[in-house]
Amino acid sequence: MKTLKKSKKYVSLALLGMMFLSIFSFVLPLLQSTTAVAEDAAAPAGPPPTGKDVYYKTDGPVSGPPAPHLTAQDYPSTKLPGVFGESRLLIWTVAQQHLFFGSFVLAVPIFCMVIELVALLVKDPVASKRYDQLAYDFIKISLTAYSVTAILGGLLIFGFITLYPGVFGYVASLFRPFMHIYALLFLAESGTLYIYYYGWHSMEEGFLKWVHATLGILLNVFGTTLMMLANSWLAFMMAPSGVDEKGQFLGNYAHLLHSALWNPINIHRIIGNMVFGGGIVAAYSAYKFLSAKTKEQKAYYDWMGYIAMFFAVGSLIPLPFAGYWLMREVYAYRQQMGITLMGGLLAWLFILQAVLIGALFFAVVYYLFNGMQRMKGAERYDRVIKYVFFGMTVAFLVWLTPHTLVMKASELKAIGGQQHPVVGNFGVMSAKNGAVNTMLMITIFAFIIYQRANKIITVKWANLGNALLFSMFGVALFNNWWLAIYGYYIPANVRVGLSVPQVAGTLTCLFAGTALNLAMLKGAKSTGPILWGTISNRSQFAMFALGVSFTWLMALMGYIRSSVRLFWHAMEIMRDNSPWAFTHPIGFASNVMSVNVVIFWIFSLFVFWLAELSAGHRDVPSMEDSPAVKVKTTGGHAIAGASE
Amino acid sequence: MPIELILIEILTLILFLAGNYFLKKTFGRGVSRFFQGILFVLAAYFIFKFVIFPPIPSALLYTYMGLICLVVFLLLSSTDSSWNEFQDPIIKTLEARTPGFKTVRMITFGVFPVLAGIGAYNFIKPNFQEPIELRTVHPAPPGAIQVHGSNMVLQEAKSPFRVDEQGKYSEGIENKYLKANPFDEKAPPYMKYVREGGEIFFQNCHFCHGDNLDARGMFAFAFNPIPANFTDPGTIAQLQETFVFWRVAKGGIGLPREGFPWASAMPPWEKHLTTDEMWKVIEFEYWHTGYYPRTWD
Repeated sequence: MKTLKKSKKYVSLALLGMMFLSIFSFVLPLLQSTTAVAEDAAAPAGPPPTGKDVYYKTDGPVSGPPAPHLTAQDYPSTKLPGVFGESRLLIWTVAQQHLFFGSFVLAVPIFCMVIELVALLVKDPVASKRYDQLAYDFIKISLTAYSVTAILGGLLIFGFITLYPGVFGYVASLFRPFMHIYALLFLAESGTLYIYYYGWHSMEEGFLKWVHATLGILLNVFGTTLMMLANSWLAFMMAPSGVDEKGQFLGNYAHLLHSALWNPINIHRIIGNMVFGGGIVAAYSAYKFLSAKTKEQKAYYDWMGYIAMFFAVGSLIPLPFAGYWLMREVYAYRQQMGITLMGGLLAWLFILQAVLIGALFFAVVYYLFNGMQRMKGAERYDRVIKYVFFGMTVAFLVWLTPHTLVMKASELKAIGGQQHPVVGNFGVMSAKNGAVNTMLMITIFAFIIYQRANKIITVKWANLGNALLFSMFGVALFNNWWLAIYGYYIPANVRVGLSVPQVAGTLTCLFAGTALNLAMLKGAKSTGPILWGTISNRSQFAMFALGVSFTWLMALMGYIRSSVRLFWHAMEIMRDNSPWAFTHPIGFASNVMSVNVVIFWIFSLFVFWLAELSAGHRDVPSMEDSPAVKVKTTGGHAIAGASE
Repeated sequence: MPIELILIEILTLILFLAGNYFLKKTFGRGVSRFFQGILFVLAAYFIFKFVIFPPIPSALLYTYMGLICLVVFLLLSSTDSSWNEFQDPIIKTLEARTPGFKTVRMITFGVFPVLAGIGAYNFIKPNFQEPIELRTVHPAPPGAIQVHGSNMVLQEAKSPFRVDEQGKYSEGIENKYLKANPFDEKAPPYMKYVREGGEIFFQNCHFCHGDNLDARGMFAFAFNPIPANFTDPGTIAQLQETFVFWRVAKGGIGLPREGFPWASAMPPWEKHLTTDEMWKVIEFEYWHTGYYPRTWD
């Protein structure tokens, strides 16, 4: 029996290793010098002509056809009435839905992977079971969403082939080898997902559980690599590299793949997906909480919502900085793209973005303070709420103040320019950096209060600890505001660098502040347990707001990123000569995004419903800790939420 | 202005606290949550509408007030006790169990339809007011332009006059000579170019852009939109020097489509000035305002 178990271990490990190697072995040769491609292609005609890489400025042998010059006749149309006859709108909608579901199936496994690992590491067996159940509940939903993603992916490909054959043909001719790897990775991901899901219960004990958790990691590696390959195509269209000015491939796949914006987009999307995953789970749990029939169900879904919110917000904190990096790289690549985005045609969409991000922060803080109502002893912090909201509001007012004001001609003359002498100062990046860091620090502060809500600190160095904590926030805030003001007096390229010390202050508050707080809470007296399920219904609408805001943000920012190319398919290499090569008015674009958000949530409800069909009305895990652990933590309910 | 604003806000807060204290002392209870919310919204409206000067545009005022109303609602509903206290007068008005609340209910239900009617009338009646405009202040430049027969790639071009004593290109050189005298005979080459740029500016540009480069020239308010204010940190300080060159050379007429129909009235200066003269004017503008152009190195 023992030998059988041991051999199972080795077989599992060997299988995992082989899967991993077989997939990635295809990638390695591509990243080496690939001049052979050109040599083969040009062998009969002597030495091939050379071209200069538009981005890397290196010379290389011409190894592919130039980008085609398309005319309006090269763009087939569906001949549908009104705006529905616009091929771009059809592609936009299908691509948006594919992206939503693609993010869903990448995001939820990240969520599951983290939760499963937590389940493995938690010492309390009851809590461990609860986390495990939570992860399982979600991978089940992911399975249905995976099929929907694949169907939408197929629709997207058909859409490209039938409506944009010229563009698709050109991009496919360049990225052909990567498209093959993409297909293989898709197969590998599907296989891993099925083993991960169907093997959940048969691999829930001992070493096999670790193998299962490793499969979860592998699933995410495949998923993330898939996403990165797809990102390389869109990054190429925004900032081409690896080709000459005619769009001819120069034989270097590494250059083709690694365009100027590839990595910033990769990082931004990975973090964005994590936030999105948390947001979807939060909305799902809110829906389940509001429709729960029993106390036990309410308690379980309340807890699920808290975990999802925690995960989403934890991922949200680095997201603005990844966004800044991406925008900086866009600006550095082409000033016209940067200006179109941040100061020109698309600038007002960033105000919509600011509103949505502000809504997220408010939703989180609102949820946390509502959550404190389910803890006895938290009343003493009620008076803090107004200061937290006041600080958030002031920061948010600065955050959403536009640089270019929308106004009447009479208002323009009264102000004496497009920038208001008082509020106009808040329209620039320096003010925005200060504002967003302030909002983040206030959110972190609210979370620290939440951690303390039902605790009375007993460590001897409590006063010193509190002084340190307040000093940390004080110094970080002072540093943030001072740099925000200083930013007005220095060149733009130096100012961009100031965001680093500002972020450093915020992250110090997050990591060092939370760690210090946890150390202070060691051995703290509990004023009462968290009464899961007793949170107000109002708070659950904040959770819905969280999920919907994330979806809207994705639609909005995706549109901004894509439409910044204006009338180019591939920037400065391949022109868009279709009848739809114009930028829609902001109102129309916003309506398309909103319709897409609604479609996605209707689809999501369908996916949730499907998951319920198979589950029936099963019992939810208990929210009670096991007796042994209870005794251990009496008087030391150390990590509110994290241990719950 | 910001100091006055802060003082007025502090005064408003003191007035509120004093009023609340007086009510507590006299009647045994302060301002209820419901009225606290209303007072806060009114105070915010008062400050945004009447204290900040010049008045902020109506579109921004509505945005700010929308946010304030939302935050007040979130604050009042953030704890159970606050939420109950906030709802109390609303529920009592709806129930109307006492004669006082009966009267309030009658007034409320009488006033609201009238207000809604006025709102609907104002919304649908023909309006002859000027429309609200969303103007693109910084339309994106092209990749390259032709000036006086030469091709200039805007991403890479550099001002030939942004040079140090050795004649080498220098970023932010204006900072070094911020307090230098352009009329000094021993001035370095850079300051000589700034002086020449200043002369060109005062011969051609100051009528609109103003003596202090603050868009308050004598003709400025005859135009819609009014000229750019270079002292504003949102104009030349945000842009690459080649962007400014593009705008000077091509003028309002050279704006791309996204800049219309509110295009600037500035003439294309390439028809009146040489390339060097345009660069020198730009050097003068940066030196005078103390700003640096945006760079990425």
